[in-house]
Amino acid sequence: MFLLSTLRIIKFSLQDIIRNIWLSIVTITILILALFSINMLLVVRVISQTAIDAIKDKVDVSLYLKPETEEDKIMALKAKVSNLNEVKEVTYISKAEALEFFREKNKNNPEILQALRELGKNPLTPSLVIKPKNTESVNELINSLNNIEDEIIESRNFTDHKLMLNKINSITNKVNEVGMLVSLIFIFTTLLVVYNAIRVAIYTHRKEINIMKLVGASNPFVYMPFLLSGLIYTFVGIMVIVVVFYPFLGLLQPYLEAFFIGYNVNIVSYFNANFIKIFGLEFIGVALINILASFIAVRKYAKV
Amino acid sequence: MIKLLNITKIYNPDVRALDQVSLHIKPGEFISIVGQSGTGKTTMVKVLIGEEKIDQGKILVGGWDITNIGQREVPYLRRQIGVIFQDFKLLPKKNLAENVAFALQVCGQTPKKIHSIVPHVMKIVGLEDKQLRYPHEVSGGEQQRAAIARALVHRPKILLADEPTGNLDSINANEVIDLLLRINKFGTTVVLVTHNREIVNKLKRRVVTLDDGRIVNDQAVGKYML
Repeated sequence: MFLLSTLRIIKFSLQDIIRNIWLSIVTITILILALFSINMLLVVRVISQTAIDAIKDKVDVSLYLKPETEEDKIMALKAKVSNLNEVKEVTYISKAEALEFFREKNKNNPEILQALRELGKNPLTPSLVIKPKNTESVNELINSLNNIEDEIIESRNFTDHKLMLNKINSITNKVNEVGMLVSLIFIFTTLLVVYNAIRVAIYTHRKEINIMKLVGASNPFVYMPFLLSGLIYTFVGIMVIVVVFYPFLGLLQPYLEAFFIGYNVNIVSYFNANFIKIFGLEFIGVALINILASFIAVRKYAKV
Repeated sequence: MIKLLNITKIYNPDVRALDQVSLHIKPGEFISIVGQSGTGKTTMVKVLIGEEKIDQGKILVGGWDITNIGQREVPYLRRQIGVIFQDFKLLPKKNLAENVAFALQVCGQTPKKIHSIVPHVMKIVGLEDKQLRYPHEVSGGEQQRAAIARALVHRPKILLADEPTGNLDSINANEVIDLLLRINKFGTTVVLVTHNREIVNKLKRRVVTLDDGRIVNDQAVGKYML
């Protein structure tokens, strides 16, 4: 009896979808648009996070060393600094490399290059460029570097760094907070749209719900086909969005690569790596909204 | 078969749709309940099918006290009473045969049984050639006959007809009434709620007259009188 009822519910649900095909198409379209918006929001979040990481990656602290320091002393200092907890990476820039970078940076500035030639010698000093593990720990890093006593260190003025880093942290935190708030509002709005789409779909069936109750159908017998239809709409919506969104990501990827040169930003890989999480959560979220909307709407119209 | 014992139904704020109504309908009877609009006829149908609850009194249907029937039991009550309505109330996205079959499906009847019962019932109401038509593809009279088939298909002991000819022309109206009479001949109790004077007077059956929520007349072989 239970199996028979279940098969009937499935049959009624599929019949209803097919016999109200335009209503079904419109409802699925609304779901697809809602899911597209949510996925776009995710793309924006990934891009903004990449941008923030790119900014933070640029943050480094330099220790300038005395010009004629021996290499082995420099390497010893480098090893000492590398062992600090806050340090991600230490790069040694020799005098020659520093000169090369300087020439490259100012290659469009002939006056500076002329001045350098007239100087006759390399005025730059070797340095250790220190990348922190994260921008939040830069202050601790600066404190640790200030505590290192080594005669080969020529200058370590980090005051401007502190101010700049505090500003960067403040801005990026604010961007994250605002981004989170906007995302929540957006998701809430999208879910409301989905909720209403389902309620409208059931509203158009209110007379039928009424008739089914008058003929002697029980509440589950009336309600379950609508619930199942909602789940089918959700499943079809997710399938379509997967098919449509990946090509869109493929079109977007070259632009992201061109913008974030040097940074490994691959939005397609991100979605692949998190496929089950992203689309699974979307399915569950939309399905739950469907169930809630169906339940409330049918109860409202089945008061006979 | 049906016993209404001093039933009262009050709608807010103080409208007495039914006022101390007592009525006993015997098995196999054909009874017309008549009255002008607003006298409580439809309210009587609603309390009999559990759509409304009464405020005072008692209702017995086939020995079952449905006065305080729970929401979960209402579907079972409705499966035992066949009801037809003025606006037919057919499911628009199901064809006529599917509409009739639906009444059996809600009872959990097997597909095999349904396939054997539905064509038979459709034949009784004269719609054997139109089983696959949708409600919007047939006339009002045919829709009402399909509704009668749906009401009959699970062999109810009682058939309630609430203004079944209200939306029909006189020829179709007479056909529907003839069908109800034939159904009654097979032993089904038929309760016809109507304000159609001509039909009632032609039937020469029991007539109960309602006025302002009260029974003002009850004649074994009656006429529509107010």
